[in-house]
Amino acid sequence: MTKVIAAIDNSLAARPVVLMATALAEVLGATVEPLHVSDDDGETARACADSLGLELRRCSGDPLECIRAAAEADDVVAVAIGARQQPSGHHVGHLARQVADVIDKPVLVVPPETVPPAHLHHVVIAMEGTPAKTRHLKAAVDVASSADLHLTVVHVDDESSIPSFSDQVAHETDAYAHEFLARYLHGAPRARLELRIGAPADEVIDVTDVAAPDLLAIGWPQSAGGDHGATAREILDRSHVPVLLVAIDSAETS
Amino acid sequence: MTAIPVQRDAGLSFLEQDFAGEPGWVLDITGFDPNKLRVNASLFALANGRFGSNGASLATREGIRRWVVAGNVYVLDGPETHLLTGPVAMQLPYEMVDDPHFRRVVDLRTGVLYEEVDTTEGLLTSLRFRSLARPEVMIARAQCPTPARNAPLLLPPADDEVLDQGARGSASWMRVAANPGGIVAAATDVVDETGRRLDRISVYLADADRLPDPETALDDLEDATAAGVDRLLTEHCDAWATRWRDADIVIEGDDDLQVATRYALFHLMASVPDDGEAAVGARGLTGTSYRGHVFWDADTFTLPFLAATHPASARAMLEYRIRRLPQARENARARGRLGARFPWESARTGEDVTPTSARDRAGKLVPIRTGQLEEHIVAQVAWAASFYADWTGDEEFINGPGRELLVETARYWASRVRMESDGGHIFGVIGPDEYHEPVDDNAFTNVMARWNLRAAADAVELIDTPESAEAREWRAVADALVDGYDPDTGIYEQFAGFHKLEPLVIEEIAPKRPIAADLWLGPDRVHGAQVLKQADVLMLHHLVPDAVEPDSLVPNLRFYEPRTAHGSSLSPGVHAELFARTRDYDKALDALRIASRIDLDDLTDTTAGGLHVATMGSLWQALAFGFGGLRAHAGRLSIDPRLPHSWGALELTVRFHGSRVRVSIEHGSLHVDAERPTAITIDTLPYTVDSTGLEFTRRSRAWEVIA
Repeated sequence: MTKVIAAIDNSLAARPVVLMATALAEVLGATVEPLHVSDDDGETARACADSLGLELRRCSGDPLECIRAAAEADDVVAVAIGARQQPSGHHVGHLARQVADVIDKPVLVVPPETVPPAHLHHVVIAMEGTPAKTRHLKAAVDVASSADLHLTVVHVDDESSIPSFSDQVAHETDAYAHEFLARYLHGAPRARLELRIGAPADEVIDVTDVAAPDLLAIGWPQSAGGDHGATAREILDRSHVPVLLVAIDSAETS
Repeated sequence: MTAIPVQRDAGLSFLEQDFAGEPGWVLDITGFDPNKLRVNASLFALANGRFGSNGASLATREGIRRWVVAGNVYVLDGPETHLLTGPVAMQLPYEMVDDPHFRRVVDLRTGVLYEEVDTTEGLLTSLRFRSLARPEVMIARAQCPTPARNAPLLLPPADDEVLDQGARGSASWMRVAANPGGIVAAATDVVDETGRRLDRISVYLADADRLPDPETALDDLEDATAAGVDRLLTEHCDAWATRWRDADIVIEGDDDLQVATRYALFHLMASVPDDGEAAVGARGLTGTSYRGHVFWDADTFTLPFLAATHPASARAMLEYRIRRLPQARENARARGRLGARFPWESARTGEDVTPTSARDRAGKLVPIRTGQLEEHIVAQVAWAASFYADWTGDEEFINGPGRELLVETARYWASRVRMESDGGHIFGVIGPDEYHEPVDDNAFTNVMARWNLRAAADAVELIDTPESAEAREWRAVADALVDGYDPDTGIYEQFAGFHKLEPLVIEEIAPKRPIAADLWLGPDRVHGAQVLKQADVLMLHHLVPDAVEPDSLVPNLRFYEPRTAHGSSLSPGVHAELFARTRDYDKALDALRIASRIDLDDLTDTTAGGLHVATMGSLWQALAFGFGGLRAHAGRLSIDPRLPHSWGALELTVRFHGSRVRVSIEHGSLHVDAERPTAITIDTLPYTVDSTGLEFTRRSRAWEVIA
């Protein structure tokens, strides 16, 4: 049996993290293992696990190393972690980002205000730039499709990838969308394509604000330097819904 | 001659002879990309004017979409009207491996598609063709990796429901219903003694008005089977050879452009039948996008090539419009107008099937007003009729339905123009530049309407007809129509108020061109700016150069082209033609390359839905009108060649007034010959050429005859 690690702390965010991990584990066919990294006896984390009938695993030492070590196990398919708000106002704490940077498995970052659903119903997958850059999200599409979730794919063109031609709008958008769905969402009958043009982070956040999905999946360029991954980081900071970060080779986004 | 070997296998007689494709005559794509599978299938689409199908691999694979369509056969009504898809015969029960060797070659000279693909049982090699000689016949000959086994001969249509199906002997049939017509297919396999060489013989019958009879299809299938694949292939190749004899273009010095040009001509020829009526949709018979709806593309970009190379096909396209004249009259009457108003999007009935709203690529719900306002289509139908008449001299057409088209469209404009104290106006239209709507006094619409009115007057004044009296009114309206021309600048104002819009020179500010500027800047910004989707005023110089002010091409090209986003796939070809005429060869060739690669490089990301047939027509126009300088005028073929420095030679073959004419252009020399005596004009001087030909040499900026 595979499992999803729910990395929790002694805070109000622990319960949403475990519940979102549970919802994700359901579609992945996995169980949930709460993990608490602390040198003291964290009552909140333990109580959270107990209330959900889960056994809390404890680990002491450097939180990043503990989580990485746990995630490296073959039977771990994903990690969920809280997006503790920073003093700067950004949602995502440095630990969540560091985890996403160092493990190759999907990382679900859960904002503290999340009201987790009992089951996942609706997933938004964000794709930016040319469709050729979106292969890394195929796994997310496959999971969503196999679980029969309602899937919204938002594809955002920016100035660099804006189409060269748009003949007759009434037919052109259909033709483009038809091909896009056939290429990237084949076998996902409940998929809907949302095409946008503009600043990718703005457009993705706008779609999630309107669609209110249970989670948003985006590609995460690990250890990205410079401007690489800036869009993903901005989406992660601004999202009000849990974000599933799917690790990609940062070269793919360049 | 370069041999392009196709994998051979014992017992496969046709492929035992290496396929020898000549350079410049083959599209050869090797490699497998699952994301490009549908684009690849479009690029290898096969059609014969009556039927078309995509070139999906014969081998099976999840996600492969196969379709067959029949020209003119539509299903549903209104904006949802689409070409009916028929049963699919071109598939075999061998499953492609995950990452196969995948090579496909289409021989443009013969219209035969060759394929090699790795399957789980071994290599599957095949050839297939949709017969040009017997339009109902589609053939595949395959060397199978293992003995052929029983499997369905026909698969259900891509988008529509099977009505009924059955069998007779070893043959199967399947039928699909439209409203009211339909398509029936029948197929059988002929397998050799090894069990591995398989001939899949199929017959398709289609009728727009009644359901075709399966028994007839089965009888035709027996005939085709009796003829055998070798004979069918010979007939097919002979038919293509005949078509190419009147239509080929040879470009020395640009191998890629040579192939791309022949690829375009191949699909232009394959998209239109040469009898009956031809509804040529935006993707011809190469795809199901645009639902097979007929736009101005057909009359303006596809028809001219056919009128100049295979007039019977152009006549079939005109017949489509002629048979919808009653509906066009009704369309006009419904708007309180006289004459005939052809719809922006047309399908089975001739009623307007343009959608009224859609989401654009930016996700915005936008109203679609082309059906209400893009009325220049009315003049385009008249222009197409006139173009056909000029190139063919078809008296029966000119004095019959051709005149009726001119008269009815002129009546429409006469009733559409509002006469005011300062002249005639056409208010509230959309021009070819669809970024601005609605606009008043669009120069293109007004000048085309004026041209239409005068052409109709010319036609009826030749003889004494009841319409002759109307001609005076038409000329008065034409003379009164304002056109926005400023003699001081030599520039036509695209529409009333265009010069007051935000002055944006998109050539300077856009991150690239072509660019869909309405998506980049947003529809509101482009609406308020001097940004064009495609040629608008310049379409006049492209289509009716005699109807614009002399010497106005250069100032208008200099003003409008830098402001043009080229966001229409039709724009590059038109501008290539115009730049060629002004001998700005670098810009002409840049634009020509874009037009030539629209589908080959999937520049629109929509080639999977079918090929841009009208863009292919614009490519021919750029070569014939722009570089060749060919124009039909007053019963003579005018030739004014311009050869880019990078090309060694350009040779064009056309048919003019029933005579095959070959124009060979080299630097400093020109050769023209004709099948039979043909009137031509070079540098305003008249000549008659015949099969012995005339040679000209360039001296002091003029062509002098030397033989």
